Amino acid sequence: MQIKKDEVVWLLLFIAPAIILFFLFFIIPILFLFVTSFTNWDGISAEFVGLENYTKLFNKKSFVRAITNNLYWCLTAALITVPLALIIALLLAHRSRGWKVFRTVLFIPQVVSSAAIAMLWAAMFNAEYGLVNFLLDYIGFSDYKNHNWLGNVRTANAALIGFSLCYVGYFMVIMLAKTAGISEDYYDAANIDGASQFQKDLHITAPLIKSTFFLCIILAVIFNLRQFEYVYLMTAGGPANKTQVLVVYIWNELSVQRLGRGNAAGVIMIAIGAILLLSLRKLLKSETYN
Amino acid sequence: MIKSILKLFSVVFISTSLTVISTVASAEITINWPSIWVGKDSKTTVIGELVNEFNAANAGSIKVVIEEQTDYDIYAQKLTAQISTGDLPDIFTVGADLLDILHRSGKAMDLAPHVASDSHWNNVYPEGTLESNMMGGQLTNLPYELFVTPVTYNKKLLKAAGYDEFPATYDEFFKMCEAVTATGKVCTSQMTAKNAWTSMLWFSQALASAGGPNVYERGLDDPAFVKAFEVMEKMYQYTTSDAIGADAGVSGGHFLNERTAVFMNGPWFIARYTSDGIPGLHENIGVAPAPMLTGGEGAPGGYVGGKQSSLAAGKQSDPAKEEAVVKFLKWLTTPENVARLSYSSGAMFIVKADLPSDMDRLFIEMNEQKGNAPYVAKTFMNGMGSLPIVSEFPQALSALALGEVTPEGAVEMLKDAE
Repeated sequence: MQIKKDEVVWLLLFIAPAIILFFLFFIIPILFLFVTSFTNWDGISAEFVGLENYTKLFNKKSFVRAITNNLYWCLTAALITVPLALIIALLLAHRSRGWKVFRTVLFIPQVVSSAAIAMLWAAMFNAEYGLVNFLLDYIGFSDYKNHNWLGNVRTANAALIGFSLCYVGYFMVIMLAKTAGISEDYYDAANIDGASQFQKDLHITAPLIKSTFFLCIILAVIFNLRQFEYVYLMTAGGPANKTQVLVVYIWNELSVQRLGRGNAAGVIMIAIGAILLLSLRKLLKSETYN
Repeated sequence: MIKSILKLFSVVFISTSLTVISTVASAEITINWPSIWVGKDSKTTVIGELVNEFNAANAGSIKVVIEEQTDYDIYAQKLTAQISTGDLPDIFTVGADLLDILHRSGKAMDLAPHVASDSHWNNVYPEGTLESNMMGGQLTNLPYELFVTPVTYNKKLLKAAGYDEFPATYDEFFKMCEAVTATGKVCTSQMTAKNAWTSMLWFSQALASAGGPNVYERGLDDPAFVKAFEVMEKMYQYTTSDAIGADAGVSGGHFLNERTAVFMNGPWFIARYTSDGIPGLHENIGVAPAPMLTGGEGAPGGYVGGKQSSLAAGKQSDPAKEEAVVKFLKWLTTPENVARLSYSSGAMFIVKADLPSDMDRLFIEMNEQKGNAPYVAKTFMNGMGSLPIVSEFPQALSALALGEVTPEGAVEMLKDAE
């Protein structure tokens, strides 16, 4: 479509607010972040220190661990949470009796404050009075009677990431909504051919919601790359920095007035996010269902 | 038509102007105070009363509004950000670790001219106190709450373990812990969450005992830091299973419920032994200086303590508001009001106050022991003077307690943080 000259002015006028806001709240802060990452800014004064912040960060075990933990969170989301959501969505798509109850129950964590959920799970994992240990003891695992799930280097990460699976409902709802748009004709044709329910799920539903499945993986990776509240509220990156993640690390740097170094960590996080997303886009490139 | 519109416009303009003028003329000055002395804090009741009384006495002209800050650590982080951005509250309390950056920000109200122009603060503060808090000729904070952190122990639980007196050395202390464990109780309350407060106090005691009160001047290379971590490593063998990751609420809660026998915190916790402890707990509590390390440079009876919080104010462009802020700060620092605060909470203050003779027994014991102490050493948090090191302490402590690092490794973690 050709745009006429007199239309260009109107076009610019209409998109100007969005561009201005984008520059003000996205481009300028990122530029600011980038520039200050080369300084020792402490909130009061700043001096140029070159790449010192970056070299110090990569020499810190806790920072490298934060990156690997974040990747661990992202992998769990992509390989466990989203596929689990897909399975549940496929099951609920059959509209069996009580499916709406399951859908609602699985979606509830999404509408409850994450801080409240984190505090609840921290209490459930408590070594002295937590429900998890009580149940384990009850079914015969008495070795775990006083196990400190969040305070043990071997179980802290697993406990944190494990409980995050309760957010499966969000992705399940997205994929379930997509299944509602699939034409019944496909299933009718499959019925004529005598296909089983499993075959219909595998060969009709799953391929037709593939693009949504990939979108959910991208969303899950983004969410888990910026993981903060659960880690901060339940372990604050401990014990011994074993559950450290990037945003909590940045938060800690900012709270001790090392704003320059915190911003350098922020720049690294943006770079990791960009690399992850570009890789995922390339990896998950597929024909969209129309 | 045009005349009518002009008339209407004039009436609206004049009436609006009059409203604005009258509003400005009678404007009540509002002072916002993000206060940590709210909720379960032992000073909540009296602080609320003091604010209400001040507001009543200045009705129509000044109104102090408390913004509740229920989490000390979140408050400290928020204040740090506010200092950086220059967006300081009208009135606030500030810990010793942020005083330097507060002064450097140039955004805090300089109280020195007010001290010079009025005798109030010179009369209520001990001689030299305000001068020692000045930086670059400015007084950007008023030292307010003091603290000491002796050991508080449950006499009933210790007696059941065969101990009538609190041990004087760490060797005896750990033997006592064995005996307490044998009775089915837990010896100490520890924590590693947030700033690991109560454990940080134990560490500070052990550090002063190993290296003397001036150990911080010698830095992290001093062997006293390793010795103090050795004490903590043992201490975690005699604590509750939820100590790693526990916060002050959990750590204090075990002592309040008689699950643990020994606890360390400041005098502000005294009121909670009665309000939140199991019935009869307060009567069973004893106070003692922390044990000593054999061969250490500290002295028996040595205490750890210091400035807990100071009062400060954001710089004001409106002289009337500055006067109002100063008036409220003076109200908070009158000897009568400080005595009320101290009496109700058990907290100690720098301001000279005539305390009632029926002060809490534990407060009197702490005060006496502090008076007899050969020194009052700084806490690790205040003594190190480095936010990154203090911030890394909980991680180093949890790594030590879990056997991930040796005491030497824990010190290395602190060095690495800097």
